[in-house]
Amino acid sequence: MKKKIFIAIMMVLSANLMNAQPITIKSEKVASVPLREINNALWTAATEYIVPIFPQNIANPMLAIPSVKNLKVKSINDGTTVGFLLEWTDSTKDIIVDADKFCDQVAIQLPMHPDTLPVFMMGNKKGRVHIIHWKGIWQNDVENGFRDVKDAYPNYWADIYPMAEKQGDGTNGKFAKDISASDYSKGQGNNFMPASYAGNPMSIFDRKEPSEECMAEGYGTLTTQTTQNATAWGVWENNTWKVIITRPIVSPDKDDAPLTAPTKIAFAIWNGHFENISGKKHYAQWTDLIIQK
Amino acid sequence: MATVKNWQLKKDMKYPYEENRPNKQIAYIFDTNKCIACQTCTVACKTTWTSGKGEETMFFNNVETKPYGGYPLKWDLNTLKMMGEQSWDKVTGAYKGKTIFDDTKGENVNGWRPAERDYAFPNMGEDECSSNVNKGAFFSGIHDTWMFYLARICNHCTFPGCAAACPRKAIYKRPEDGIVLIDESRCRGYKECVKACPYKKTFFNMVTRTSEKCIGCYPLIEQGEQPRCVQTCIGKIRLQGFLSKPGEAKADNPIDQIVHIKKIALPLYPQYGTEPNVYYIPPIHVPTDFLHQMFGPGVDKAVAAYKNLKNDPDLLAAFLLFGNTPKITHHYKREGDFTVSYNEAGEVLAKVPMTEPVYVRPYDDKDHGTFRHNTP
Ligand code: SF4
Ligand code: SF4
Ligand code: SF4
Repeated sequence: MKKKIFIAIMMVLSANLMNAQPITIKSEKVASVPLREINNALWTAATEYIVPIFPQNIANPMLAIPSVKNLKVKSINDGTTVGFLLEWTDSTKDIIVDADKFCDQVAIQLPMHPDTLPVFMMGNKKGRVHIIHWKGIWQNDVENGFRDVKDAYPNYWADIYPMAEKQGDGTNGKFAKDISASDYSKGQGNNFMPASYAGNPMSIFDRKEPSEECMAEGYGTLTTQTTQNATAWGVWENNTWKVIITRPIVSPDKDDAPLTAPTKIAFAIWNGHFENISGKKHYAQWTDLIIQK
Repeated sequence: MATVKNWQLKKDMKYPYEENRPNKQIAYIFDTNKCIACQTCTVACKTTWTSGKGEETMFFNNVETKPYGGYPLKWDLNTLKMMGEQSWDKVTGAYKGKTIFDDTKGENVNGWRPAERDYAFPNMGEDECSSNVNKGAFFSGIHDTWMFYLARICNHCTFPGCAAACPRKAIYKRPEDGIVLIDESRCRGYKECVKACPYKKTFFNMVTRTSEKCIGCYPLIEQGEQPRCVQTCIGKIRLQGFLSKPGEAKADNPIDQIVHIKKIALPLYPQYGTEPNVYYIPPIHVPTDFLHQMFGPGVDKAVAAYKNLKNDPDLLAAFLLFGNTPKITHHYKREGDFTVSYNEAGEVLAKVPMTEPVYVRPYDDKDHGTFRHNTP
C-alpha cells in the first residue's frame, strides 16, 4: 500500500516537472564519438540541453542542501556508439574517498521498458533501469593509480601484513608498507580484505575504466552488471566537471536498456565536497531521448 | 518508522523497521572493576580479524581510559552533545528523552561522522585520572580522584543504528544469534553506518572502500565457543552467552541472572535507543553522576548488589564462570562448593570452586633449607 502511494507521488512529481521543462535530447549523428577528449570539435559542435537538477528529498537519506542547479547535456552517436557529455559547475575537484572524504559522481539512467516507464528514482519492482555511473575516485584510480595507504600516509609504518606472499623485511629497501593493495589481494592476504574476498566491485585495485554499469529496481537494489561495456572519462577544469559517458547503441548485453526507439534518460549528480553520497544526491527526472540515425 | 519496545528504556520508541527479536541474542558482560587495560583482547581481535591493508587504525575491540579517553576521539561526547540534555523518570526509571531515531530530518538516524584523524589516537587519555592527586592523598588512603578502563566492542544491538541507516540494507542481524553483520559483497562504502552507530563501531576501510565491523566472532559462536576477545581476557572480566527476551529470563542462564534478574550489569548509554547487548558492571569507585549518564538509572542498585556479591551465592556462582571456560555457558548450577557450567546439550563445560583453597607456606622452608619471600 505504502509503495503504491509512493509511486503515485513520484508520478505526480514527474508530471509536474515534465510540464515545466519539456526537453527532448537528440543525439546527433557524427563520424565518431570521442571517448575521452572532452574538448574535441565534435563535442563542441553538438547541441547543448540544459536539464534542471533537484535535491533528492523523497526517501531517506535525503539531500538537505543542494549545490548543483543544472546539468548541461550533449549527445552524439556514430551509429554504433552513443556518447553523452555531462557538464556541471563544481568549484572543488573531489576525487578521493576516505573516512571523511567523498568524491564527485554523475550517473545516467535508462529504462529497460520505456513503454511502461518506471519511476525516475532508481526504478521500481519489475520496472528495471539501467544505470551508468562515473565516480571521481575511479577516475583517480585509472588516471593516477590506486590510492594505497602509503600514498595517503607517506610516513606510516606497518610491521607485517599477515599472509602477504612477500613479507617486506627490508630486503631491497622493501618493507611491509611497500606491499601494494593489488599484490596483497592476489595472495592469501585477500583473507584480510573482506570486501575484495567477497568479490565486491568497490574493491578492485587495477581498474581500467572509471564507469560502473548497474541495474536497479528501486531504492537499495543497485547491482553491478556482469558485463561492463560502457566507458566514461571525466575532466575537471575551470570549476567545471565535464564527463563523457558512452555505450553501444545496440548492446549484446540483455541487461542494457534499448536505445533504437525513442526512450527516456534521467541523471544524478553527487558533490563530494558537501559529503553527497548514496541518496544524498541531485537528480533530474525522465527526459525524452532520441538517438538520431 | 515503526514503534518498538525497548526494555532498557522501559518505553516504546521509533525505529525504521518492525521489532524483530532474534531467536537467540548474543550478549556479553564486562566487569569494569576487573579490567587492567592490558589490551590482550584488542590484540587478539586485531590479529584475528583486522590486520590487513586498510585496517591499520581499525579496532573492533578497544579499551579506553575514562573519563578522558575515547576511540575514535570523543565518540561518546559528540553524541551526547548532539542529543543535548535528556532525562530519566526518577520514579519509574523510564527514559523520558529522545533517542537517535527521533527527529531525524531526512535521515533514518541522527549521527555524526568521525574525521580520519579521530582514529589516530586509540590510547588518548590512557591512564589519566579525573584530576590531579593532591600531595599526600596517596598515602592517606582513599582519594577523590578516579579513572577506570572501558573495554568496548560492537554491542550487537537489538535495534542497530548501523542497520537502520544503511540505504542498501547491506547490514543485517542474524536471526540465529542476533549478531549484526555487514554484507561485504553488497556494501558500497556509503559510510551511513559509520555516521549512525552511536558507539562508532563500524569502520571505513580506505583500501577496500567498504565499511567493516566486529563480526561477533561468529565462526567461534557457531561452534559453541566464546569470541576471541572474551577467551583471551587476562583479567577474566568477560562472559559471553545469550540473553533471553525480556520477560523470559531463566535463572540458570548466567547472563539472564546477572542482567535481567539481579540487574547488576547495565547497557552502555542506553539512552541512544539501540538496546545494546554488551552489559557493564559499573566501576564502584566512580562518582555516580558520571555513571548515571553512562549506564542509566540502574547504577546505584547495581553497585550495591556488586558490593554485596559475597552474600549472594547464586550471583557469585555466575561470576565465577568468567574466564573459566572457552565455551559458551548456556546453563549453570551451584552444586555444593562448586559452580558448574553446562553447554546447550547439557554437558559439563567447567567446574569452578566457590572458594579457592588457601595454602599458607611457611616462611622458613625446612625441606629446601631456604626462606620464602616476595621478590619483586
Ligand atoms: S584483556 Fe580483559 S583485562 Fe585486558 S584490557 Fe581486555 S578486557 Fe581488560
Ligand atoms: S554497536 Fe553500532 S555497529 Fe554495533 S550493532 Fe550497534 S549500532 Fe551497529
Ligand atoms: S567479538 Fe570477535 S570480532 Fe568482535 S571485538 Fe571480540 S574478537 Fe573482535
